[in-house]
Amino acid sequence: MKSYLIIIPAFNEEASLPRVLSDTKQSNPDADILVVNDGSTDHTSEIARHEGVKVLDIPFNIGYGGAVQTGFRFATEEGYEFVITLDGDAQHDPASVRNLIEEMQREGADVVIGSRFLGSPYSMSAARKIGVYMFSRIARLYTGIPFTDPTSGFQLLNRAVFSHLSAGDNYPLDYPDVNIIMALHKKKLKVREAPVRMVEKPDGKSMHSGFRPLVYVARMFLAILMVLLRRED
Amino acid sequence: MPLGMRIVIFVTGTLLFFTILELVRRKKFREELSLAWLLIGFGMILASIADFVIDPLAFRLGISYPPALVFIFIFFLLVLVVLYFSVVVSDLKGRNKELSQKIALMEYRLNTLRKKDRVSADNECRSKDS
Repeated sequence: MKSYLIIIPAFNEEASLPRVLSDTKQSNPDADILVVNDGSTDHTSEIARHEGVKVLDIPFNIGYGGAVQTGFRFATEEGYEFVITLDGDAQHDPASVRNLIEEMQREGADVVIGSRFLGSPYSMSAARKIGVYMFSRIARLYTGIPFTDPTSGFQLLNRAVFSHLSAGDNYPLDYPDVNIIMALHKKKLKVREAPVRMVEKPDGKSMHSGFRPLVYVARMFLAILMVLLRRED
Repeated sequence: MPLGMRIVIFVTGTLLFFTILELVRRKKFREELSLAWLLIGFGMILASIADFVIDPLAFRLGISYPPALVFIFIFFLLVLVVLYFSVVVSDLKGRNKELSQKIALMEYRLNTLRKKDRVSADNECRSKDS
């Protein structure tokens, strides 16, 4: 067994998954790969199995955070030392994983978040830019660290962190973003950022479209408030 | 309270109360969850006949039409019931997540064990043949 596990949560990603898996295998030969099939109704699971990676099939869709947490549970039980979370929609460049690892080794960090804004230029809508800016400021205010991309799902976590997040309600079912950074900082864990390459979703669809941005912002403010109000376990 | 209004509230409350009882009897509604609704039905029946409490209380609260107090009372009970069921749904969602994650992890282990079993069975066959 290798010490690194790359967790790829996937919901109906049959179109992008073959490319994501071949790129991930090619650029990270020293890591095991786990696809967490979050109740897909297409051939996501079959494609992942055909590619020869580990696959967990959640019987129905429980959400992005729930799928990632299932991966954390797997990594905890199997004894992995580090996990990397990578989206299954080909947004994250798996070759950037080495930046995360280098940053973790250099800074002695517990978590390294991949920032699309520290690397090559990344285009996004004005509304999303405002959202990212706002949450970056909140993260900076709370942690004192100048985060640039607190909504990034491209992350490297050590065992202390992912085993903690794998338990019960320590990880949200929907949006594990700036609230998780704040919760980890509150637990005195070291969170840092490193540049990664990301591309806009090829099909142009986003989990932040329609009324979802409003729900997301309201949800995130509630989660931030809860981090502030909850006592340390 | 006018007689017509009294009858409407009494009949609605009685219907609600016995419908819930019947659903529980048929095991379509869990006993522990039905209690809040039975309380509402019972409260409506009481409200329709408890003039001696409703009327003076309504006038004391400045409500000139006493049946309005009954509706306010029912409204608050309904808010409490909805809140209670939201808590139940939230708890169920958490348990659902735990279960689905455990199923996924156990299925993986089961498949791994099956593969190992198949390999060791093949090896046994080969050693017997040789």
